[in-house]
Amino acid sequence: MKRHISLAAVTVAATLLTTSATMAQSVCLPAPRLLTTVPMGGQVGTTVEVTITGDNIENADQLRFSHPGITATQKLDKEGAAIPNRFVVSIAADCPTGIHEARLMTRLGVSSSRVFNVDNLPETTRVKPNTSLKNAMAVDVNSICNASMTRRSVDYYSFEAQKGQRIVIDCAAKGIDSKLKAVLIVADSTGADLQVERRGGAIDFTVPETASYIVKVHDLTFNGGTTHFYRLALRQAAQGEVVPRLPSIETVSSFSWPPTGLTSEAVLSETEPNNRHAEAQKITLPCDISGSFFPAADVDTFEFTAKKGEVWWVEVASERLGLSTDPSIVVQRVNGEGANETLSDVVEFSDIPSPMKLSTNGYSYNGPPYNAGSSDIIGKLEIREDGIHRLQLRDLFGGTRNDPRNIYRLIIRKAAPDFALVGWALHMNLRNGDRNALSKPIALRGGATMPIEVVVVRRDGFNGEIKLFMDNLPEGVSAAGLRIPAGKSSGIMLITADQIAPRGLSNASFFGQATIDGKVVTHPCRLASMQWPVPDASREIPSPRLLADVPVSVGGSEFATITIAPVEEKVWEVTAGEKFTIPLVHTRRCEFSGANISLKTYGAGFERVAAFDAPLAGDASEVVIDLAKLKTPPGEYVIAFYGSAVAKYRYNIGAVSLAETALKEAKQAAAKMASKAKTLAEAAKAAPKDQQAASNKAAQDAATKHKSATAAALAAERQLKSVTAKAKSKDIVDIIVSKPITIRVKPAKTAEKK
Amino acid sequence: MAFSLSDLAKRSVFRSVIYSLLVFLLGAVSGAADEGDRPIHFVNDVVPVLTKAGCNAGVCHAKQGGGQKGFQLSLLGFEPLEDFESLVKDGRGRRLFSAAPEQSLVLRKATGETPHGGGTRIARNSESYALLRNWIEQGATFGSAAAPKLVSIEVQPDRGLVQMGADQQLKALAQFSDGSVRDVTSMALYESNSDAMATVSENGLVSVLDLPGKVAVMVRYQGQVSVFTAAVPLGATVGSLPKAKNFVDKHVFANLKQLGIPPSPVCDDVTFLRRVTLDIAGRLPTEEEVTAFHKETNGDKRDQVIDRLLRSPQYADYFASKWTPLLKNRRDATSDITANFAFHAWIRDSLLANVSYDQIVRELLAATGTVVENPPVAWYKRVKDPKAQLEDIAQLFLGVRMQCAQCHHHPFERWSQDDYYSLAAFFSQIGRKPTATAGEDLIFHKRGRATAKNVKTGVSLKPVALGDDVGNIAADEDPRLRLANWMSSKENPFFAKALVNRYWKHFFKRALIEPEDDIRDTNPPTNPELLAALEEHFINSGFDLKELVRVITRSQTYQLSSQPNEHNLSDRQNYSRFYPRRMPAEVLLDSIDDLTGASTSFANLPTGTRAIALPDNSYNKSSAFLKVFGRPNSASVCECERVQSSSLAQSLHLINSSQVKSKLAGGNGRAARLAKAKMPTEQKIAELYLVAFSREPRPGELKTAMDYLSEPLIDANGKPIAASTAAATNFQDLIWALMNTKEFLFNH
Repeated sequence: MKRHISLAAVTVAATLLTTSATMAQSVCLPAPRLLTTVPMGGQVGTTVEVTITGDNIENADQLRFSHPGITATQKLDKEGAAIPNRFVVSIAADCPTGIHEARLMTRLGVSSSRVFNVDNLPETTRVKPNTSLKNAMAVDVNSICNASMTRRSVDYYSFEAQKGQRIVIDCAAKGIDSKLKAVLIVADSTGADLQVERRGGAIDFTVPETASYIVKVHDLTFNGGTTHFYRLALRQAAQGEVVPRLPSIETVSSFSWPPTGLTSEAVLSETEPNNRHAEAQKITLPCDISGSFFPAADVDTFEFTAKKGEVWWVEVASERLGLSTDPSIVVQRVNGEGANETLSDVVEFSDIPSPMKLSTNGYSYNGPPYNAGSSDIIGKLEIREDGIHRLQLRDLFGGTRNDPRNIYRLIIRKAAPDFALVGWALHMNLRNGDRNALSKPIALRGGATMPIEVVVVRRDGFNGEIKLFMDNLPEGVSAAGLRIPAGKSSGIMLITADQIAPRGLSNASFFGQATIDGKVVTHPCRLASMQWPVPDASREIPSPRLLADVPVSVGGSEFATITIAPVEEKVWEVTAGEKFTIPLVHTRRCEFSGANISLKTYGAGFERVAAFDAPLAGDASEVVIDLAKLKTPPGEYVIAFYGSAVAKYRYNIGAVSLAETALKEAKQAAAKMASKAKTLAEAAKAAPKDQQAASNKAAQDAATKHKSATAAALAAERQLKSVTAKAKSKDIVDIIVSKPITIRVKPAKTAEKK
Repeated sequence: MAFSLSDLAKRSVFRSVIYSLLVFLLGAVSGAADEGDRPIHFVNDVVPVLTKAGCNAGVCHAKQGGGQKGFQLSLLGFEPLEDFESLVKDGRGRRLFSAAPEQSLVLRKATGETPHGGGTRIARNSESYALLRNWIEQGATFGSAAAPKLVSIEVQPDRGLVQMGADQQLKALAQFSDGSVRDVTSMALYESNSDAMATVSENGLVSVLDLPGKVAVMVRYQGQVSVFTAAVPLGATVGSLPKAKNFVDKHVFANLKQLGIPPSPVCDDVTFLRRVTLDIAGRLPTEEEVTAFHKETNGDKRDQVIDRLLRSPQYADYFASKWTPLLKNRRDATSDITANFAFHAWIRDSLLANVSYDQIVRELLAATGTVVENPPVAWYKRVKDPKAQLEDIAQLFLGVRMQCAQCHHHPFERWSQDDYYSLAAFFSQIGRKPTATAGEDLIFHKRGRATAKNVKTGVSLKPVALGDDVGNIAADEDPRLRLANWMSSKENPFFAKALVNRYWKHFFKRALIEPEDDIRDTNPPTNPELLAALEEHFINSGFDLKELVRVITRSQTYQLSSQPNEHNLSDRQNYSRFYPRRMPAEVLLDSIDDLTGASTSFANLPTGTRAIALPDNSYNKSSAFLKVFGRPNSASVCECERVQSSSLAQSLHLINSSQVKSKLAGGNGRAARLAKAKMPTEQKIAELYLVAFSREPRPGELKTAMDYLSEPLIDANGKPIAASTAAATNFQDLIWALMNTKEFLFNH
């Protein structure tokens, strides 16, 4: 009996295990992602052959760039057929140098982007392993080499240099989307280290003796792989010449810099010594000062006179310039003079807070991993008493650091209310333990609505409402901005593709509009994305960045799993205080797990609509909205309903039928060739002597072709197997957002008149 | 200096007689002159008795959490008011009985008349007993607030030359605020800093044993300390000394002359090359280096080797492997890897670039930012508690152990709780913000006045650096920078001293002050002049670590032979010869790899990474070798965490471990290569000796090796083994034998 129970228990446990394994859920439907390009850039005015890798990019036939000066065509083989994942990229002679973005146009739409660099120096790509001193790859001074790191290895490069030459050795990695934390070493010809740089800086090397030298590159923790790519640049420089660093992507925080209308150069420079109060640099307000947190523990003290009641706004940029700094300001009022001087605090400024609560990388997704805040400063200075004031500016990270490149810009101005916007593809907690931080290109499936979370950094007391817009969308795509309400810091942009929207791609413009001091002010909304799709933010720290453009696309080969839309496309007119019902229509295109989807509501003031269940198996549902309960004032609102559901998704089903057809054709071709080969073989046997040679050759040719046809049939079979496996139903938790619904709330009085 | 057991016995009797006489005399003087009718004062008279009897020791009534059986005293009587309350009032006053003082519980327990867990502490006929009894009889008062206060104690003599086997009676004099002086010899506590050199009785009689050198006896009385230093000469004639090369030799040789210890001669070239390569670069010299050095005729070729080694990356690797465990670069979680690699690399790169020591310490001490941008921040990830921060900084960079002073006045030192918390105040404004990496904060100075509260007095104290005022620190200023300024000032009495003492130990096995991180007045250096000169040189060089290594290794002292002469075998602290020491775990593993031609693979690191370049302790888990040979686990700020002693496990590991066997038998190893190589056997043997010992084999060694290699081998069934296989096996055996010699395992 015991044994029996035991077996039963084992069976139950095994069943549970199996069930939980099969129930394992992914999150978000597959999106096309361009992961690597080799090389990662090229020289202006040249043509470069680029090999790409990515996720969900089968049959990608277009490689496009954020700048029109870079174009690409598919690489063709001898027969003129496109070679998969290889492109010939032309960089126009007038293409600006710096960071550009490459994307693929795929079956599913436009892919996520990868940095593509354009530089003036000649470029090479490492092709052979160079992981030992013996195999060091020779590189020229004044050139750039593209390579990727091998795990648990060090890459070796050699160069010749003359005594006294100044050579700046730079390595672009994190700044060009790589996962490599680059360590750069200059060594002598025996490989003995001379200079090391591990914090992402460049090595400024003055050659001690005319000789051959070695550059070593490796990852800080000796990680590697194709995702750990880098560009190594050796540049000769004159003594005293300022050598710019290799260009780098922009951090998310930098979207809020610069303020509107700022000149590229500051009006004033800080003048040392100004560390102590007695050495304060005298300024008058308003002002615009550039300075540097140098030397270590630098304090820059500025003195100005201000009157009671004056209000000034203080802004500092340093971290947003891409530097690892943490500016901090204290403003104090000076009381008394000379030996009797005392100081009283007026205000302290530190960070620009993130407009949204950030992800903690905890157990599950609990906030966006995009920090739109900064360690820079935007703050309000209210003068409480007439008199002399001093402002001290420090870098909280600069106590022991001696680097004049840690610069800042300090602006003190009268209030110039304004705003800056940034958005990113929305994610939400889709299952227990969901720590995904995915790169999500705007690659729409027919009938899908994609939400973009938009946040604002407000300047100088601007507190008003901001409306969100998108223009220049592909055919069949519409966008509805759910405004950022007055006093709030976030809103939503919904981008919807009609079910019948054709495959298309356009470079959209995305912007926000507000009325400030009676004037309509428009600013672009920058888009941010993850450099890499991170499936577990506790294991790999997500690294977001700003994107150069806002491409919006429709793939045209798949549909959304479900579309939830109001029964009527109209403006829903209701009266304030009324309770009304919106009937919803469900267009379901795949099976789902579970009976219902729980829907919540987006839209200023409508977030408090109680979550409601909509049946996943049914074709309709409805939502009842009680405006009295919500206390919604009259006006026009855009709302949408959102939730998540486990779809039984099948990837690229179209490929299965294509592969089936291809296999059938290949088999037929093979059979045909088999028959022909047999016939010709028999004919060769029977051929008269004088035709023997020709017959034999024909038979041999036929046999070869038969062999090829058989191989092609086998390949087609493998292809079918592969696409069938990929197309197998898989549980994926999908973010589902209804089509936007416009509601016009009329004043109650008007309703009575009716 | 040999003597017999009967000599010892005689000496013991002699000592006893002298001791009795002295006690009698001292007792008579003190009793007659000092006590008289003077009212007995609790602090000045009673507490010393309790201290001397050990009542207020940490294991007795000063034990934390209630003392013993409810009778709580403060440690060593540092809180007399509390002790008075405890003795006189607590327990409803049951410990004292003024009507019949002899019946007082405190006396009955102390004399053992009533069962006492601590045994008999005071004899009934002793002076201490009489004093306590009289005090109780007088009414057991605390005594006048106007009574003179103890200012200091003096030991007489404070230094002297004491011959081996001789005794020296010390006299302890207490000086009070009213200018009076009291002989407290019988009440003071005595402790030798080396029981192997000298012992001391509880009445201050120092008995010198048979090791030459300097020995110190600490004398403590009521929180005051003094020290007696004895120079114990060997007394041999010091004839010709090697010509002094720098101030190191001047001071070492002067000391040897004073003590009469003739030094061993300067070692030969190959010994020097092997020694200095191991000590600076943590590796054996290569065959090429040995050959080239041998051929070099330049007179300063030893200096050149030192400079070459100091330029090499292995110098940075090796000394980083010394520093990173002390700075607790510990892998607790997989995600620590980035921080640990970055931190280790920061130290290593700083050493490679020869960043001055004060700057390295400043960068660590006042680190701000994130780990990847500023790796020394990782130290604040490991050491989070401000108290641990000050204790580690003090011990590591100042050689001062402050731990005791957290709870009470330091018993051997001048540090009080105020000193402790004033030092803690430097770390009170460290701000932290979480970063994207779990468990990793970014560090910044949190604006505000730095203070720390003395938990005993409740007083908030501003930052003071071990008694030195560093001025007012504004709310905006990071106080840690002031601490760094104070440390690196030329006048700082601890900073440079602690480092030169630590580095001296690296090269000589024994620090001038032992342990190297316990520098205090009561633990004097064995050669104070040398320590002072090293300190001065280091400061004047701008805290140049390479220069310090250079000046030490260039000295003749460092280059003396490890072979003792007829006199200096017993010398353990005067550097009259080089003291051999076993290679550290990492160096030994690398050396075995070099000798066997094998390579040890370490997780996440490129093939060929040497053990001295390992960034953190995580590799100890995967490498039994490193564990067995004592590689530290980065848990302590003390160098003692690195186990340098020998053990059976180490021997067994070298003799018979699968790891060592696989290195010997590696297909690409040296044994396999030599077995196949087409060259004379003598040359092959010479190669092995050059790699293992940096020298050619001696004729006898060569013959033994030749004989062994030519022996035919048979298998378990008695059948001859093929010559090629036998050759490889024989070479493995020979390498194994060389590897297990002391000449290989030790730096000598």
